[in-house]
Amino acid sequence: MSNLAVLPIIVPLLAGIIAAFIPRKTTVVRIFSRVMTIVNLAIAMYVGFEVYQNGSIILETGGWKAPFGIVIVADMLSVLLVITTNIIGVACVFFASRSLTDKQESFYFYTFFFLLITGVSGAFLTGDLFNLFVFFEVLLMASYGLLVLGGNKVQFRESIKYILINLFSSMLFVTVVAFLYSVVGTVNMAQIAQRVQEVEQQGILTTIGILLFFVFATKAAIFPLYYWLPKSYIVPNPVVSALFGALLTKVGIYSIIRVFTLIFIHDTAMTHQLFIWLAAFTMIFGVIGALSTNNVKLIVVYNIIPAIGFMLMGIGLYSETAVAGSIYYLLHDMVVKGALFLLVGAIVALAGTSDLRKMNGLIHHYPVIGWMFLISTVALAGIPPFSGFVGKLLLLQGGLEQGNIAIVIVGLVTSLLILFSMIRIFIRGFWGEKDESFTPDKKKARAFAWPIGCLVAITIFLGVGAEFVYPIVADISTYLLDPSLYIDSVLKE
Amino acid sequence: MLTAVFLPLIFALLIPLLSKWKDKIHTGWFVLIVPFTVFVYLVTKTGKDFAPIRETYQWIPSLNINFDFYLDGLGLLFGLLISGIGTLVVLYSIFYLHKSEQLAHFYVYLLMFMTAMFGVVFSDNVYVLYTFWELTSLSSFLLIGFWNHRKGSRYGALKSMLITVFGGLSLLGGLILLHLVTGTTSIQAMIEQKEVIIQSPYFGWILAFVFLGAFTKSAQFPFHIWLPDAMEAPTPVSAYLHSATMVKAGIFLIARFLPIFVLSEWFMIVTSTVGIVTLCIGSYMAVRQTDLKGILAYSTISQLGMIMAMLGYGTSTAIFAAVFHILNHATFKGSLFMVAGIVDHETGTRDIRKLGGLMTLMPITATLALFGTFSMAGVPLPFLNGFYSKEMFFQASLDLSGTSSITEVLAIVIPILAVVGSIFTFVYSMYLFFGTFRGEYKEQELPKKPHEAPIGMLISPIILITGVVVIGLYAQLVNEPLLAHTYEAITGEISNKTISYWHGFIPAFQLSLLVVGVGTVLAMTRKRWSSIYNVLPGSLSLNRVYDWLVDRTEKYSMKITNTYMTGSLKTYAQLLLSAIFIISAAILFLTNGINLEATDLAPITIAELLIVGMMAFAAIATVFTNSRIAAILILGVVGYGLSILFVLYRAPDLALTQLIVETVTVALFLLAFMHLPELRKRTEPLRTRALNATIAISFGALMTIVAISSFASKWFEPISQYFLETSKSLGGGKNVVNVILVDMRGLDTLFEIAVLALAALGIYGMIKLRGNSKEAK
Amino acid sequence: MEIVTSILAGILFTTGIYNLLQKQLLRIIIGTSLISHGAHLFILTMGELKRGNPPILVEGVTNYVDPLPQALILTSIVISFGVTSFLLVLAYRASQTNQTDNMDELRGNEHE
Repeated sequence: MSNLAVLPIIVPLLAGIIAAFIPRKTTVVRIFSRVMTIVNLAIAMYVGFEVYQNGSIILETGGWKAPFGIVIVADMLSVLLVITTNIIGVACVFFASRSLTDKQESFYFYTFFFLLITGVSGAFLTGDLFNLFVFFEVLLMASYGLLVLGGNKVQFRESIKYILINLFSSMLFVTVVAFLYSVVGTVNMAQIAQRVQEVEQQGILTTIGILLFFVFATKAAIFPLYYWLPKSYIVPNPVVSALFGALLTKVGIYSIIRVFTLIFIHDTAMTHQLFIWLAAFTMIFGVIGALSTNNVKLIVVYNIIPAIGFMLMGIGLYSETAVAGSIYYLLHDMVVKGALFLLVGAIVALAGTSDLRKMNGLIHHYPVIGWMFLISTVALAGIPPFSGFVGKLLLLQGGLEQGNIAIVIVGLVTSLLILFSMIRIFIRGFWGEKDESFTPDKKKARAFAWPIGCLVAITIFLGVGAEFVYPIVADISTYLLDPSLYIDSVLKE
Repeated sequence: MLTAVFLPLIFALLIPLLSKWKDKIHTGWFVLIVPFTVFVYLVTKTGKDFAPIRETYQWIPSLNINFDFYLDGLGLLFGLLISGIGTLVVLYSIFYLHKSEQLAHFYVYLLMFMTAMFGVVFSDNVYVLYTFWELTSLSSFLLIGFWNHRKGSRYGALKSMLITVFGGLSLLGGLILLHLVTGTTSIQAMIEQKEVIIQSPYFGWILAFVFLGAFTKSAQFPFHIWLPDAMEAPTPVSAYLHSATMVKAGIFLIARFLPIFVLSEWFMIVTSTVGIVTLCIGSYMAVRQTDLKGILAYSTISQLGMIMAMLGYGTSTAIFAAVFHILNHATFKGSLFMVAGIVDHETGTRDIRKLGGLMTLMPITATLALFGTFSMAGVPLPFLNGFYSKEMFFQASLDLSGTSSITEVLAIVIPILAVVGSIFTFVYSMYLFFGTFRGEYKEQELPKKPHEAPIGMLISPIILITGVVVIGLYAQLVNEPLLAHTYEAITGEISNKTISYWHGFIPAFQLSLLVVGVGTVLAMTRKRWSSIYNVLPGSLSLNRVYDWLVDRTEKYSMKITNTYMTGSLKTYAQLLLSAIFIISAAILFLTNGINLEATDLAPITIAELLIVGMMAFAAIATVFTNSRIAAILILGVVGYGLSILFVLYRAPDLALTQLIVETVTVALFLLAFMHLPELRKRTEPLRTRALNATIAISFGALMTIVAISSFASKWFEPISQYFLETSKSLGGGKNVVNVILVDMRGLDTLFEIAVLALAALGIYGMIKLRGNSKEAK
Repeated sequence: MEIVTSILAGILFTTGIYNLLQKQLLRIIIGTSLISHGAHLFILTMGELKRGNPPILVEGVTNYVDPLPQALILTSIVISFGVTSFLLVLAYRASQTNQTDNMDELRGNEHE
């Protein structure tokens, strides 16, 4: 029964391995991949259903009891994120064949893709800090592979920077895990949490926590550590950008949520207060970046950053409302970012340029893409009734509950500027004179529209149907704020 | 009410299905049913015995966000305006917009807007209200951008969206605070707790946030600048959204929360000041416009200011006058917009400098305009509804009395400004009418030869002007069944107001006469004093502020971003490392984390020291060498040194692995860099090198200190004792490290292999795709 | 001795970072290698040095050094090896296609 929890990691791993052996048969591998992502989504949903019904599933791998072996902890938070990951996966895999060349597909795109899903799901599910490092490496290595796929010089150039920064943060990660091991003598997250709570004089622990935070913050693109992100995200194929934008930074923020609600909660006045400040700067600088360019891809890439700021704000505020807000925002952001990255990918492919100044009147040619873009934009800015609103509302409520008007004002201004940065694309790119000389590729547009449409539909559902999702998120938040629930479920004491 | 709110939206979804018939029947006929049905429904609710109706439908109950609809007098008045004017506007649009336009889009937006607007005025739940509020901004954005091939249209759409969404977000802040302070999301329940709200420490913020929301939406100074640019929308839209309904949402909001806010003196000060200033600026600016719709836009701003000011007074006369004027303004301004549309439609221009003498050519239109403008000007004639509310406005302004130093000043200044604003109102009303319909007919300037408009276009303004006259003559018709309830909804008191023409030669009436007198003089001499606009350009400068802000936002963001997003790995790494170092070091000190008293240490032997020294020396040497082979070999020394340390520290497996890995890595290094140039001498300035060295040393030192402190804080028994105990019995192996790798932590190893495999695939792809990319070129 | 190795690891980090901040790709990658050596040395040190026999069970011996850090290092070594190899090939390809191994010339100008 508990073996179920490992399936969302193992199935894509196997799928990736199999895909590696049939790369030359593009059609076969394409169909195989589509089927496998859907199967994997179904599995993830089934696991989700089980967890929803019966509570967290704890799998002690190899039968080694926690905290000695590696545990897989499928709690509601992890499972919800794994499901969302697989939804993005399905949309991307269907988009991939329309966006990649056959060559790129045959150079192990699907293997990298599946391993990326493996790494991300593994990072969400693992209950072991060192194992988290390993899954980070899996997803990073897969992302390196995807990043250089296609191999032009710009990609190579930006990949180097991306890999170097990540390599450094990975090395910092293992070092910090070692420091932590020295102090608490374990790498099992539940046991670390338990032991950290038992310590009276925390001493070095806060610093170790902050170093760990920086490791995750580098991956999550939090101010002032996000420099590597914008350029490396615009160079690869749109479908790769979408996977990165929707998933990679979110693993970082998930890790922060996990570690800073479970383990390092002994000095919130120091750590979490710092997060609020960093969140504010992340929002401001991120949205400034989004306003700074006319490259549509870059605008969307920069918009990753303020969203991360919102999520960090919730963790910093550290109350039930705010943490629920962060989680809801996280779910929303994964979906809407996936949709937006695919949309700009489609726009660039259809318009033939990524320069906003060279676009005009696209809505006359591609109305469906245009309207989906507007909905995603509005959702991103957190305007009801779409998905962004619920998370933002909770975050603002959380901020005001603590009387932190300043961060709320930053959040509101950021929302406005997010809208401004994105609506420019709609106004300048989609509106305007119809260019009669332009021959639209309607067939391609339709092919692009389907996978995106699914994500947009989910965005709408997350907003309008919040009643189906929010109670779960609220429960997760309550659960996260009481670390003993996690600890007891893993260590069974 | 749920039906009333969502009926338009459902119809909007059906519209695309009608595309089959779009060439035969104008889509508008189909749409017309919607507002008319709602209007009839709401009319049946009016009457002396009207009592508020409440309906609740669940939406997101776990967040207290539900469709709690509450229809009271205020909602009823606005609902009637939205549906009534909506009906007339749709009817008008059928003749105004040609079938070749993108009618489906137009009506979808319009219906979306109706839903939004009904939602705003019927919602009792603050978050639902906010949802609909933003939807009005969005649909307004789309409608202004309807003719988006025009530059002005896109500009106006963006401007209105930025300003109203800014207000909307601010409103959200206020609503959340209200929710948190009172613990309820129902406005009516909040009103019951008004004392709690007033005494809350956040009341100032609540007030500020809600003000921003209301003032931006209702185009109050200094946020009024979006409204004139919104005139790029098709005229029916201007008549509907930007005159009769959406811009009154801010007024609605203030009226809605009036029972709470009225307890605060600051509410009175801010609202009445902003309102009266808006009145003056709007009417002053209207006179200098040359576009008919421009005049009407500023006129709308000024009238909205007047209503806002009256709400700010908070007295019973003022509130009743405000309510009455909301209705009156909708009738005359709606008709005037339609008249402007007709003139535009028939002559092909809205430029008042080209127009003139149309009276004889378009007698019906001219008559409608006559009634409309005179009612707007507040000319004291018994059949003009505008006069009644205007006189009440004067009365209310005169009645003001101060209780504190600020309000005392206001009580003196406001009546004066009220008169000044009204004089300009009179001037632009006359200017509008006489400039268009009287004077010289300039045939050669008109793009089209004007005729009287088709009857279809005239129906709607005729109905509205009939409303002007009927309300003027028989005000009681709307008072008891409607206005009294609205008044009651705002103040909570039963209305005993009556509306009558003659109150005697009271000061308010004298002021009306004064306005007419001075206004007539000014209107006739307008050309002589109009150079004053060169000295006092009014709100043009505010537009410049907006343009400047938008422009600078983009420019400065580019500047700021470019300073750090240099594309240089060095800059990124410097910033990143410094940030990590500074914050972590600060935390380390602040929490007294440093603990260098490690006691339980292993002994130091000479052999180890030698190896360590060699490694340190080699590591430092990599920095100084300029030969690539040397650098790679020195790196090898460090690696092999590490494997010797592994041997010394009883880690045979590690030593072996390290040895192999190091050898392969060095080989790879040599292979990869065979074709690359020699290491160059460092050409960087000393400052850069010093900075780099500082960052590197600080970071290294930090790591060492944290390491020693961690080592000195071994507070728990490591779990590995368990591994040693069970390795043989449960794991079946003597080499504990191996057992851990393949068994206890088998998952790590599995995925470690996955990483290696991925790296191999990636490398293969990079090398293989090289040929392909050249082929592609 | 742990203090000495900690200092050595710190030196490895320092020199690694200094190299990372240079322009030439070769130096930068050498820097990352130094950093990983430093990280591995830190892990080993954190497990206490020389407190017993190598963790290969022998009858009669009860005192062994902590095996877990060794297992972690092993995993980490293999992973860094994979990443470094990938990086080396990438660096080779990047400098080949971009005609330079100078990071200052690899800035790019997509951003305006």
